[in-house]
Amino acid sequence: MQRTGATWSRRDLLGVGAGALAAAATGFHDPRRAFAQGAPWAIAPKSKVDEVNFVVWTYGDIYTKIAKKFTDDWGVKVNATISAFNDHPTKLMTMFAGGETIDVSQSSPFSFANFIAQGLVEPLDGLPGAADYAADFTGFTKQVAIHGGKIMGLPYFSAVWVWNYHQDLMDKAKMEPFRSYEELLEQCRKAKKDGICQYPILWVAGVGLEQLPGTWYQMTWNKGGTFFDKDGKHQLGPGSIARETLRWWAATFKEELADPESLKVLFTASAKAFGAGKNLYRGPNHHYGLNIANDPAQSPTAGKTKVWGSPGDGRTVGVTHVYFLCTANRDKEWAWKLLQYLGGKTKDGRYTQAENLARDAMLGSGYQSVMDSDVIKTGWAPWGDVPAILEIWKKATYLGEVVNSMYQPWHFPWSDRLNIEVQKCLTGQIDADRACDNLIKAIDEVKRA
Amino acid sequence: MAAEAPRRRGRRELAPGRLGLVMNLPTLLTMALVLAYPIGYAAWLSFHRVGPAQLRRGEFPWTGLDNYVRLFNDPLFILSLKNTFIFVAIVVVVEIVLAVAIGLLINQQRIWTSRITRVLILLPYAIPPIANGLIWSFIYSFQFGFLNRILFTFGIIDQPINWAGHPETALYAVTVPYIWRTLPFAVLLVHAALQGIGTELHEAAAVDGASTWQRFRHITLPLLLPIIVVILVLRTSFAFTVFEEIRAITQGGPGDATWVAAWYSYKKAFEPPNDIGLGAASAWVLALIVGALAIVYVKTIYRRVV
Repeated sequence: MQRTGATWSRRDLLGVGAGALAAAATGFHDPRRAFAQGAPWAIAPKSKVDEVNFVVWTYGDIYTKIAKKFTDDWGVKVNATISAFNDHPTKLMTMFAGGETIDVSQSSPFSFANFIAQGLVEPLDGLPGAADYAADFTGFTKQVAIHGGKIMGLPYFSAVWVWNYHQDLMDKAKMEPFRSYEELLEQCRKAKKDGICQYPILWVAGVGLEQLPGTWYQMTWNKGGTFFDKDGKHQLGPGSIARETLRWWAATFKEELADPESLKVLFTASAKAFGAGKNLYRGPNHHYGLNIANDPAQSPTAGKTKVWGSPGDGRTVGVTHVYFLCTANRDKEWAWKLLQYLGGKTKDGRYTQAENLARDAMLGSGYQSVMDSDVIKTGWAPWGDVPAILEIWKKATYLGEVVNSMYQPWHFPWSDRLNIEVQKCLTGQIDADRACDNLIKAIDEVKRA
Repeated sequence: MAAEAPRRRGRRELAPGRLGLVMNLPTLLTMALVLAYPIGYAAWLSFHRVGPAQLRRGEFPWTGLDNYVRLFNDPLFILSLKNTFIFVAIVVVVEIVLAVAIGLLINQQRIWTSRITRVLILLPYAIPPIANGLIWSFIYSFQFGFLNRILFTFGIIDQPINWAGHPETALYAVTVPYIWRTLPFAVLLVHAALQGIGTELHEAAAVDGASTWQRFRHITLPLLLPIIVVILVLRTSFAFTVFEEIRAITQGGPGDATWVAAWYSYKKAFEPPNDIGLGAASAWVLALIVGALAIVYVKTIYRRVV
C-alpha cells in the first residue's frame, strides 16, 4: 500500500471519488462538519432526558454561550450551579453529600485527588471519543486528567505562572526588568527610595489553593527546588531551597518592599489592584491576569502591564484545571455529552469552549491542537505579548512535579496549614525555619486525619 | 336535649395543664423538628466518621470519642477557642455600654432629633451579615480604604494602617463591623426597657437633690439590669458563633490570627476532605460552652436582680 511519488492506483482514485461524493452530500461547504457527522461527539445519546446540569466556579460569563449551544444542538435544557472558586469544593461536596444529581463538575488539580478519593469522579475510559481526546491532551493535562492510568477528566484550561511589570513606573524609574532576584530587590529598594512607588512588589499571597502557595511553589521551582521528591519525601528541611525561598520572600515584607495588600489578594483582585499603577512588579501569577490588567474597562492603566519571565533559566510552573463526569449523574451518556461541550468538542467537531476561553478570557488550552492553533495567537493578542508568553510556556513544568502531594487526598488540608504558616511567616509572627518545621509536622498530622 | 348539650361540652373541656400542653404542642413539634433534631443529629455524627461519601451512602462507621480527642489535640482548635473568647468579651462589653448610652440618648423626648436617630439606628440591623463584611473589607482596605483615607485627611496617621491584614489588629478589626451590625438589637431592648421606667422616680429623686449621675446610678441602671442580663445572654450566644464577618473580611487570616470556633467548624466540615464528624464535634463543644455560660449568667446575675 505504500505510495510513491504521484502514482495513483485505480482503487485509490475510486476511494477518493467516493469520499468526495459523500462529502458533497453531507456538507461540502464545511469539511470539518462533514467529518463530524459520524464522529462520537455528533452522535445523539439513545436515552432521553429533560435536562442536564453542571456545577462549576465562576469566571466571567463563559458558561452562558456554551449552555445555550448545548440546548440549541440537542434540545435539552442545561442547569448551571455556579459559585466562587474557593467556595466550589464546598458547594460540590454539599450537593453530593445531600444526594443531589450532578452530571458534570469541575476541579482544580489541587482538589482532584480528593474528589476521586471521595468517589465523585467517574472514569471516562471506553466512552465514545475519550481515547481521541486523551491523544490530544497536552503534557500538563495528562498529568492531571489521567489518574491511576484512567482518564478521569477533560481539560478546562491551562495556565502558566509569569511575572508582570508596570511599564509607566519602569519608565519613570528608568529601569529594565530584572534578570536576577538580587537585581529585583535592588530595583525595588531604589524605586521605594526615589518615591516611584511606596510598595514596589504586589505578591499574589491571599489564602487559597494556588494563590499564596502557588507563589511559593513557583519561586522555589525557579530557584531549583521542589517540595517533595519522587518518593514523596518532603524537601522542606534546614537549608532546603523551599525554606530559603520563604526566608527571602518574608524579607520583602519586612523591608516593606511588598505591598501589605498582597496577603489578601487572589488572582483577579491582584490584577485589578496592579492596574491601579501603584506597584512596579506583580509577583508570579497566572498569565491570563493580563486580560484584566490590560482591559480598559477594568483598568485605569490598560496596556501598561507587561509580561516577564522568571530569572535564571526561566523555568516556571503551570497547571491544568479539569471538568469531570460526576458519579452522581442522571444519565451517563448525556452527562458525557455535556462534559464534551465544556471540556471537549461540540456537535460540529470544534473545541468550541476551549477556543472561546482563549479568545474571551485569555486562557490556555489543555489540548495540544488548540495550543498550536491561531486561536491562541490571535485570541490573546489584545492583552499581551503572545510570543513572550508562549516562550515562558515552553519553560513551564506541571506543578505536580514540584509538589507531588497534589496527587494525594491529604494535599488539600495540608494546603490549609501551608496558608496559615506561610502567612504567619510573611507577617513576621514566626520565621521561615519555624514555618517549615510546622509544615513538616503537619504532613504526618493530615495524613493521619 | 337542650339541657344536655352544655353538659357534654363541659365534660370535653380540658384541664388547664392539659390545655396548655395541647396549645404548646405545635410549637414544641416545630422546635423539635427544626432545632432539636439537627442538634441531636450533629451530636450523633460527632461520634462517627462522616464524609460526603458516607453521607450519600448513609453508612457511618462508629469512632467513639475519636473526633473529640483529635479536636482537643489540635492546637488550631485551641487557638480558635481563645480567639473566640477574646472576640466575645470585646463585643459583649462594648455592645452593652454603647446600647445603654445610645438607649438613653434616643429616649430623650425633648430632643426632636432622637426620633430620627431611633429609626436610623436600626438600619445596620437590616444589612445582611455577609454584605456587612464586604462593606467593611472595603473600608479597611490598606491603600484604598475609606478608614485610612479619613484618618490620613485629618492628619491622625501619616502611613496607612493594615487594619484587617496585620496579625496584631485583625481580630480587633473584625469586632467593629460585628458590633456595628448587631448593636441595634441591644439598643432596641434597652430603649424598650427605658420606656417602662416611670418618670415619677426621677422627678422624686430630683426633688431630693440627686444629680443626673446619681439618678442614673441608683434608679435607671438597677431597673435596666434584667434587660442587660438578657442582652448579655443573647449577645454572648450569638457572638460565639461569629462567622460571616470573618468569612468576608479575613478568612481566618493573616495566618491564623482570626480563626474562631465557627470558622474552624466550617473549614473542617465543609472543605475537603470534609471531615464532618470533626466539624460536628467542634460545633458541639461550642454549643456546650455557650450553654454553660448562659447558665452561669442566669444563676449569678439574673436571679440576683429579678
